[in-house]
Amino acid sequence: MEATPISPDEDHIPDTPLFDRKRSLSGYRLNKMAMGLGEAANRAAFKADEAAYIDRFGLSPEQKHAVMTRDWREMVRLGGNIFFVLKISALDPVPIRLTQICAHQAGMEHAQFQRERLGKKS
Amino acid sequence: MARIIGGLGTSHIPTIAMALDRGLRDTPDWKPFFDGYIPGQQWVREHKPDVAVVVFNDHGNSMFLDRMPTFAVGTAQEYRPVDEGWGPRPIPPFQGEQDFAWHLVDTLIDNSFDPTIIQEIEVDHGLQVPMELFWGRPAAWPVRVVPIFVNVIQYPIPLPSRCYALGKVLRQAIESYESDERFVILGTGGLSHQLQGARSGFLNPAADAAFLRDIAQDPEKLAGWSREQYVETFGSEGAELIMWLVMRGALNERVEIMHQHYQAPTSMTGAGMIVLENR
Repeated sequence: MEATPISPDEDHIPDTPLFDRKRSLSGYRLNKMAMGLGEAANRAAFKADEAAYIDRFGLSPEQKHAVMTRDWREMVRLGGNIFFVLKISALDPVPIRLTQICAHQAGMEHAQFQRERLGKKS
Repeated sequence: MARIIGGLGTSHIPTIAMALDRGLRDTPDWKPFFDGYIPGQQWVREHKPDVAVVVFNDHGNSMFLDRMPTFAVGTAQEYRPVDEGWGPRPIPPFQGEQDFAWHLVDTLIDNSFDPTIIQEIEVDHGLQVPMELFWGRPAAWPVRVVPIFVNVIQYPIPLPSRCYALGKVLRQAIESYESDERFVILGTGGLSHQLQGARSGFLNPAADAAFLRDIAQDPEKLAGWSREQYVETFGSEGAELIMWLVMRGALNERVEIMHQHYQAPTSMTGAGMIVLENR
């Protein structure tokens, strides 16, 4: 399960990680932890003691750090799939928006991302 | 025998559900989007389908990576909305159509498709949002549903040509079903969007416009594309557009576009709607 993270250079389509065998294997535990947050009891456990909840699933130290620092780009790099890890965003006092998560992955400020990728004026 | 009265295509963006839940339908940001669906809603009201076959994908809400069916058919009596992390949405449960669903399973397996059979499952925004876009927010849904789940999350996802071929068997199942009920088929997902990697926020309105044209006029071409072409053209998450091919495969070679709408971006997606009838 502890596969090596995939370098972006390995993607066939530039800057476009496909959730393939390698990513699925390396991210399995991270995604399983996030999947658990679909249940209210697990959300309560996460909120009460985030590190202890995460430790139930055997994430790598890198993955755990990425989750606890809400480093979305790193979560995806370490095999996280957006549809699972997005559930983490629901638990923060001010939930981050999906466009902010995507701006972070694109390496852009939110306003620049909105303008350049989504064609929004402001 | 049962009859196909048309095919509907639509995006299934979760933000649409949030906008409805927060009462934002008529705000300046959302009104043009929702107004674009009014002709589609009128079509549904006038044509009164009894059964909706909804082709969609679960987004890591009811299915985890521990078992990931490529194609699955829901044969349940009822489908409740799943908790996606924010609590289940306050919408009525969807009534299933068990008898037809089993007939579909029989027909698929007799024609060398081997779907997973699902007797109990909750459904996420992939099914909820298309239903709300075409049927609104009724106290109870006036139509029974048959979900067809397609894996578009874990690679390898199915070939586009295979989705199209599955649609042809779906048609055979409906047309061999002893009933006088009226069936509509919903292909859902897309259009262009990407939510992962440095290309996040990718949109391709020109390709979306071509897709809305070709899904009606030249579906064989779209069925012949590779998965990589879908990813490159529509973005990593936009590749889920292959699910529209199931809907299209169930229709005649010649169809007419009755209604169509497109808006980009809606949230981060090229949002499209189409209503097709056989000719």
